[in-house]
Amino acid sequence: MKKRNQVLSLALAGAMSVSLLAGCSSSAQGGGTADTTSGDSSSAATGDTASAGEEDNVIRIGVVGPLTGGSAIYGEGAQNAINMAVEEINASGGPYTVEIVNGGEIADDAQDAKQAMNAYNRVMADDPDAVVGSFFSSVTLPMAAQAATDNMLLLATGATNVDVTKDRPTVFRDCFIDPYQGKMAALFVQSQGYSKVAVMYANDDDYSNGLKDAFIENCEALGIEVVDTEQCVTTDTDFTSQLSKVVASGAEFLYYPAFQDTVPLVVNQARSAGFTGAIMGGDGWDSSDTTGLETQFDNCYFTNHYSSEDTSDAVVNFVTKYTEKYGTESLNACASLYYDAIYMLYQAAQNGGGTDTASLVKGMTGMTFTGVGGTFMLDENGDPAKQIVVNSFVDGQVQWYETLGPDGSVVSKRDA
Amino acid sequence: MTFSLFFQSIINGLNLGATYALIALGYTMVYGIIRMINFAHGDFIMIGAYTLFYTIPLMVNAGMPAWLAVIAAIVVCAIVGVLVEIFAYRPVRKAGPMSALITALAMSIFLQNLAMVLFGSRPHNVSAIFSLPSVTVAGVTISLNVVLTIVIGLVIMLALQLFVKKTKLGKAMRAVPQDRDASTLAGINVNKIITVTFAIGSALAAVAALMYCTTYPRVTNNMGTTMGMKAFIAAVLGGIGVIPGAMLGGVLIGLIEVFVRLFAPGWYEAVTYGTLIVILLVKPSGILGRNTGEKV
Repeated sequence: MKKRNQVLSLALAGAMSVSLLAGCSSSAQGGGTADTTSGDSSSAATGDTASAGEEDNVIRIGVVGPLTGGSAIYGEGAQNAINMAVEEINASGGPYTVEIVNGGEIADDAQDAKQAMNAYNRVMADDPDAVVGSFFSSVTLPMAAQAATDNMLLLATGATNVDVTKDRPTVFRDCFIDPYQGKMAALFVQSQGYSKVAVMYANDDDYSNGLKDAFIENCEALGIEVVDTEQCVTTDTDFTSQLSKVVASGAEFLYYPAFQDTVPLVVNQARSAGFTGAIMGGDGWDSSDTTGLETQFDNCYFTNHYSSEDTSDAVVNFVTKYTEKYGTESLNACASLYYDAIYMLYQAAQNGGGTDTASLVKGMTGMTFTGVGGTFMLDENGDPAKQIVVNSFVDGQVQWYETLGPDGSVVSKRDA
Repeated sequence: MTFSLFFQSIINGLNLGATYALIALGYTMVYGIIRMINFAHGDFIMIGAYTLFYTIPLMVNAGMPAWLAVIAAIVVCAIVGVLVEIFAYRPVRKAGPMSALITALAMSIFLQNLAMVLFGSRPHNVSAIFSLPSVTVAGVTISLNVVLTIVIGLVIMLALQLFVKKTKLGKAMRAVPQDRDASTLAGINVNKIITVTFAIGSALAAVAALMYCTTYPRVTNNMGTTMGMKAFIAAVLGGIGVIPGAMLGGVLIGLIEVFVRLFAPGWYEAVTYGTLIVILLVKPSGILGRNTGEKV
């Protein structure tokens, strides 16, 4: 008996240590928007960057992006898109030309905040006029803090976390912010004519909470009834209780803002529980695995930055040129955001009347830009109010459904 | 709460509970026979699930029913279980419970990392194993797949109970923990019995993988950690070493989780682990645990 208790207590101690390990391994899946502001980024700021009176008409740009690691495919797309944009601009014979420092290469952040600071310092050593990057919020946050200190223009590409540009007059971005997606989802619900919606969100994730709050707030403002709000955590695999309640609540639409790894589980369990309504998520749903769940994913939607199937001129132009040169494998939203970023800086030089950092910042502030991401204006924070793409699933394949403008109006829609 | 929601939750709870129960059986059988907590047991489920992930498409392409893949999973799991026992656990068996426990933890981490190297860390979707329709009874949508997995779980548990009680091998399995030396004198090959126990426990993990993948068709290299933990709690709750205890514990934990989540989703793990603490305080040997007598 005594020995048995000893063994049990040992086992329990073991159990706890294993659960600790489990905690560690799962925290890595925070993905794009985990807020990991590294406290002190001890970088050697490279002096005054806005070398006054520089009038060589060359915009020198440093680019940071994920070239290696789990998201290397994003960096590959970004590199191709940048090469393409630079080539186009320099061949157009305009007033300014563009040069990418670091030998034309993206400096690799490996989707890691520490390496991002190294990459940032590497491009800063070449004395650029502006820095473009990076794609993930967690990676961009420390860079943005350093850029604000250095008085360097930073144009973030995919970082959707609100804090990236907040109170940083030299930091801008060309993607929408988290709460904006929640609002657009609510506008989508309205346009589809649903009146009763349910929400399930991961309460241990900033991204999920941000989208949930914005969605509920905007639904209420639009007169859409939120009949059920359920919560889960990012490591859950069983959602049957919550989804049974969603079904019992009579909701016609379920909003599940989360990262793609649990999306197949939720969709499958929702369908098994008898939920036939629409299920929607945010850009975290991009590249969800639908293998074996093709029918369950019918009537599912998610908002995203861009779709290669969009029929607007800018998108068609970009997609055609890109596909010709580099194929479709790396043709992702990240590529389109980096492509737009180079053109935005080019336009900023024209607006501000110079290629030094100060002129670019002046040209950038409050600019209206038209590109692959549509026509948008940068607000006082440097965030764009831009169009958003709604994708659906057909036979498990992501298919562009429509593009919504900032006011919820349909900009373009797939031909039925 | 409406009746339909209640009924639906019972089904959900039984489904989750039956999976926990099958895994708990693996813990309990090994503990019953060598007094060792096999922390790598959860990872045997992961191996079973990966086997299903790779063999189901093969079965479907060959024109055979997808569930035949479970036979491959059972074979693979049993082999892995036996290999782990022979190469990792047997050499340290004499060194005491602490060494065995640490070896088991190490084996768990080893298997997870091996799976990450071999199969990558990205989650994979397991193709549907059964494709039965859903039926609506009294306003409740019940997936027949779920009903089938519950039935499979119950049948396996019943069969195991009969095997242990009625067969010669089962009798030997009950004899070994009572007195190892006397068993040897009675002509029982103790090492062989332990190996057989590991093979059966691991095969049960393969069946658990089948049940798990029917409802949660996703396989990751660390899926075994949480599943194993819950099942271990189930085994302790029901009385570790006692086969009906593992079943009872599994079903209880499944029902507790599902019902707590209906009312307070954030609390379900706290309640699950809290239940364990309360049970251990009130009855340290678990609900069906006995201080003496046979344990398998």
